[in-house]
Amino acid sequence: MTLKMAGILAGLTGFLLASGSAMAQQPRASTLNAVKARGVLNCGVGTGLAGFAIPDAQGNWSGLDVDVCRALSAAIFNDPTKVKFVSLSAKDRFTALQAGEIDVLSRNTTWTSSRDTSLGLNFAAINYYDGQGFIVKKTAKVASALELGGASVCVQQGTTTELNLADYFRANKLELKAVTFATNDETVKAYEGGRCDAFTTDASGLYAERLRMEKPDDHMVLPQIISKEPLGPSVRHGDDQWYDIVRWTHYAMVTAEEIGVTKANVDEQLKSANPEIKRLLGTEGKHGEALGLTNDWGYRIVKHIGNYGESFDRNVGVGSRLGIARGVNNLWNKGGLQYAPPIR
Amino acid sequence: MKKTMITVAGLALGALAAQSAAAQTPRTLNAVKARGVLNCGANTGLAGFGQTDAQGNWTGLDVEYCRAIAAAVFGDATKVKFVPLSAKDRFTAIQSGEVDVLVRNTTWTSSRDTSLGLNFGAVNYYDGQGFLVKKSIKVASAKELSGASICVQQGTTTELNLADYFRANKMELKAVTFATNDETIKAYDAGRCDAFTTDASGLYAERLRLAKPDDHMVLPEIISKEPLGPAVRHGDDQWHDVVNWVHYAMLTAEELGVTKANVDEQLKSANPEIKRLLGTEGKHGEALGLTTDWAYRIIKNVGNYGESFDRTVGLGSQLKINRGVNNLWNKGGLQYAPPIR
Repeated sequence: MTLKMAGILAGLTGFLLASGSAMAQQPRASTLNAVKARGVLNCGVGTGLAGFAIPDAQGNWSGLDVDVCRALSAAIFNDPTKVKFVSLSAKDRFTALQAGEIDVLSRNTTWTSSRDTSLGLNFAAINYYDGQGFIVKKTAKVASALELGGASVCVQQGTTTELNLADYFRANKLELKAVTFATNDETVKAYEGGRCDAFTTDASGLYAERLRMEKPDDHMVLPQIISKEPLGPSVRHGDDQWYDIVRWTHYAMVTAEEIGVTKANVDEQLKSANPEIKRLLGTEGKHGEALGLTNDWGYRIVKHIGNYGESFDRNVGVGSRLGIARGVNNLWNKGGLQYAPPIR
Repeated sequence: MKKTMITVAGLALGALAAQSAAAQTPRTLNAVKARGVLNCGANTGLAGFGQTDAQGNWTGLDVEYCRAIAAAVFGDATKVKFVPLSAKDRFTAIQSGEVDVLVRNTTWTSSRDTSLGLNFGAVNYYDGQGFLVKKSIKVASAKELSGASICVQQGTTTELNLADYFRANKMELKAVTFATNDETIKAYDAGRCDAFTTDASGLYAERLRLAKPDDHMVLPEIISKEPLGPAVRHGDDQWHDVVNWVHYAMLTAEELGVTKANVDEQLKSANPEIKRLLGTEGKHGEALGLTTDWAYRIIKNVGNYGESFDRTVGLGSQLKINRGVNNLWNKGGLQYAPPIR
């Protein structure tokens, strides 16, 4: 080999190396670039679940899961409407994401180990900590699940719910009188008909079922959550930048709530001297650019969608028909589990 | 010269090939298995988190995380090479591949998660600013510190957080500032202030250095966010999953009551959650590229999260840090593992 050839090879290698290290930052299959080029985000949602994702008579989607996608659209396009919602059954949802039919799956999907590993997905954040809870008649004067010893509990037969119920009562040394039924509908009806003192299923389901009862206001959901169903958006493996964008979009909304930045005051907050607010809204630092977005990404999200608490209240919380209490979905410093790593 | 250049070119091409493969192939786990040892980026010496004893044995919460990964991969918690790294060098070491994972009391921030090309995920210690007070002032909560004098280091985020917290809670602040951490803690020890504030893990460590450690207590409130956890390189989702789920397995074990002492007996358990954790049911370990008994190996060799916490930084250690925000989610803390199923 001549010196010249060696030089060319070294130069070529330098070039290849440079592109190699650029690749580590900008993955080849960049979902962000595809979304930008397409001008619209493809968002996988459910077929209709009140509070989480449901279309109205005009076909406008709303819900907590819908807001995840609208917030992404706001961060990327400064416009929360650049979203194509793809309605997916529970069965089809993962295939749609794997095949690239959608950019993100935001469809009340539990983050489990199998889905996180063998399906080739990354769960980006937890936008709703669901889990099994209890509903009781207000007349029973029970304020905590720990007071249910000896009470009869309606539960669907052969479910994880039934097992969790037995585990919880055993662990807390409570006497259990389970009354079981084959279907969810039978179980709810039996509870409403007075067959049991309490009914148990996942908390989001309790609130939804309550709305279908004859006198919803006569019933209340107890604060305890006794099992884990962490729901959150997922993305495909192999695109760390996109994973970061989805993840930090949720964290930006949680951060905004924590530092008191709302849809209504976000413009005023642009003048804030608080360094945390400045970093969130992009009046200081280059945190948006590091994600491949603009530095005002956090501002855009809050301006168009609001903070996490606002989205929660509007869709599933006290400002919605469901009336779900914040509970475990409150901020970490208010008794809940919602915690965002710092933007800095 | 000529030969050197060709060699350099060859090496670089090799590195490039490895890099383009990275996006698709599970590179790190295979490399670790082939090497027979996990390269773990560790602290240069921080009591409770990562330090060596007189015999050169590494101990600490971060150290046990790496031992747990080694247990999951090799069934042997000793197959770890600890690489002590300064704060300055730590990210270069993980980026360049010198270490497979960085577990070095490192805060997960947006910049590190994005522009450094790293992935964070699990938080093995929720740190954050707290307060140390003399027991004699009979204060049980930071909310009772209105009007109290607080020793704090000048020009730090700590000072800003302190002012924010007092303002938000409508409390009167009397901050007494010093240029260095050492001066600040000495002034507090000498009685110049009613309280001292810095990150909670630091409060517990500084308390040990006071003239009479037992005369002082850390208050329960945490007023800022310093989530500490392991970081891996971008481009290897399988390895990211392995590192995260090792932490989640340790949390799940604590939540289900599976301990180092009872794990063999628990292999006979009929509880489906325990069966899935220990691999007597399902193929959850194989899905990670490990064996189905991956979590059994972790608990058998290292223990569950609570055991590790107590032994290294908690009540069974010199530091005696309360579980607080690091307790399980259903016991008032933030430690939460997604379900293994």
